[in-house]
Amino acid sequence: MHTLLLLLLILFLAKVFGDVVERAGFPSILGEIAAGVSLGLFLIRPDNDALIFLSELGAIFLLFTAGYKEINLQELKVASKVAIVPTICDVVVAYSFGFLLGRAFGFGFMESLFIGVAFSPTSIGVSVRSLIDLDYLSKKVGSTMLASAILDDLIGIFMLSVVVSVAADHQMPSGMHLLAIAARILCFIAVMIILGRKVFPALFEYVHRMHVKESIFAFVIMTALFSAYLAEAFGLHAVIGAFIGGATLSSVPIAKIQEVQSKVDGISYGVFVPIFFAFTGLSINPGSIAGAGTLSFLVVVMALSGKLIGGFIGSKIIGFDSHDSLIFGVGVMPRAGVELVVISIGRSMGVIGDQVFSAIVLMVAVSVIVTPVFLKFAIRFKERSEMVRG
Amino acid sequence: MVVDYAKVSVAEIMTRDVVTVTEDTTIDDILELFGRYHYHSYPVVTDAGELVGIISEDIVLEILLFKQIPASRQTHLSVVRSLGDDARGIMMPYPVTVSPDASLSETADLMLKHHVYRVSVVDCEKLVGILSKRDIVNEICKRRD
Repeated sequence: MHTLLLLLLILFLAKVFGDVVERAGFPSILGEIAAGVSLGLFLIRPDNDALIFLSELGAIFLLFTAGYKEINLQELKVASKVAIVPTICDVVVAYSFGFLLGRAFGFGFMESLFIGVAFSPTSIGVSVRSLIDLDYLSKKVGSTMLASAILDDLIGIFMLSVVVSVAADHQMPSGMHLLAIAARILCFIAVMIILGRKVFPALFEYVHRMHVKESIFAFVIMTALFSAYLAEAFGLHAVIGAFIGGATLSSVPIAKIQEVQSKVDGISYGVFVPIFFAFTGLSINPGSIAGAGTLSFLVVVMALSGKLIGGFIGSKIIGFDSHDSLIFGVGVMPRAGVELVVISIGRSMGVIGDQVFSAIVLMVAVSVIVTPVFLKFAIRFKERSEMVRG
Repeated sequence: MVVDYAKVSVAEIMTRDVVTVTEDTTIDDILELFGRYHYHSYPVVTDAGELVGIISEDIVLEILLFKQIPASRQTHLSVVRSLGDDARGIMMPYPVTVSPDASLSETADLMLKHHVYRVSVVDCEKLVGILSKRDIVNEICKRRD
C-alpha cells in the first residue's frame, strides 16, 4: 500500500477508534491499538520503513512529552517522601513475577529481563478516573497512588535503560559490566543536568528573540531529538534520552510557554503517539496469542497480581489498613505507555518474540478494562465494612 | 514625534503595586482575590519576595471545574493540582519573566509572538512588577496623545 495512504488510514482509524473508546470511559490508547489490530486483519504488515520510523518517533515523543509536561521537581520531592515504599514494593514484586514467569516458560535471561521490566511501570490514568467518580481521589490512598505513579515511571525508565544496555552488549552482565552501565547512565544524566541548568536557559533566551517563525517550538523539538541522539551516543536508548531531555526543559520558563506546550502536545498526541500505539496493534500476531493461550493468560494474571500484591504489602508497611492497601494495590494495576515502549524496544532489538509481545499488549488492554471494575469493588467493599462496623 | 520603544524600559511602564500571594495562601483566599480584583493572574512569592510561580485564571477554572473536564484532558499535573490546598500546590512554577531593563519593544515582541498576555518583572529573583499587554497598549496610546 502507498505509504501516504497507509499513514492516512492509521491516523484516521486511531483517532476514530480512540474517540469511541474514550467516550465509553476508557483511555484512547485502547482504540489506537485496536486501529492497528484491525488494519492487521486486512493483511497490512508492519514492514513499511516509513511507518517503522514514525512509530519510533512516536515512542520518543511519548516519553519526551511525559518529561516535558508532567515532571515537576517539587512534586517529585513530595512524592518520594510519601510513596517510595509502596512504589518500590509494587515494582519489585511485579518485576519478580515477570522475570520468574519468563524463566518458568523457558525464555532466555534477556527475554525474561524484558518481561520483568514490562511488568514494572504503572499508568494510573484509568484508576484516577474511577477515584474521581467515586470521590476518592482526595483521600490519602488516592494522593499516595498519584505520587506513586510518577515514581513508578521513573523507576521503570531507569530499569529500561539498564536492560537495554545489557541486551545491546549481547552478554550476561558481570559486576563490572553493570557498573559501567550505571556509570554511563549517571554521566548522561549529569550532562543533561548541566545542559538544563546552564545551556538551555541561555539558549532559549536567545531563541525567543530569533526572527524566524516558531523558533521556540522548533528548538523544543530539537531538544527532544538531540537528547534522544545523545542518549544513543552514551549507549542508552533514544527514548530514555527523550524523557530526560523533556524533564530538563521542564524548568526553562520560555520553553514552557503555554502556546508552545500546546504545539508539542499537538505534534505528539495528534500525530506521532497514535501512530506508535496503532503500530503496536499492527505488530500483534493474533495467531500467536491463540497459540500461546496459557502464556497469555498467565502474563495477564501475573502482571496484575504482581502489582496488586506488591502494592498491598507496601501500603501495609507505611501504615494503611487492609482496605486502603487493597485499594492501592488495585489502583496501581493498569499499564499503558511505558510498558508498550519497553516491549517495542525489546522486539526491535530481537530480544522479545511474537508470543510475549502479543501477550503483553493483551495484558495492557485487560489491565485498563478490569481495573476500574476492581477498584469500584474494593472501594465498595471498604465502605460496606465501615457501615457494618459503624 | 516618533517614539523609539526599544529605548523605553519595562521598568518605566510596569505595574509596581502588584497583588501577590505567598506559597501558604489557601485556595479560599486565592478565590476571594479573584472575586475582589479583576487581575488575570497572581504571582506567588516567598516571604523574601522571590517569585516562585503564578496562579492564573486557567488554573483556577481547571480546579473549580475539574470533574467536568473530559478525562482525556486531565493530565497527571492537573490531577495533582486539583488536590492542592494552598498556592504552593496549585501554582504553575517557572513563570515567564523579564528584567526591568528589558525594552518595551522586545517584551511586546515576546508577548505577540507567543501569545503571552502578561510577564512578571524580576530583579535578582525578586518580583518588582508585572507588565501586561494592556499596560503596553495604554503606554503607547499615552505617548501618541
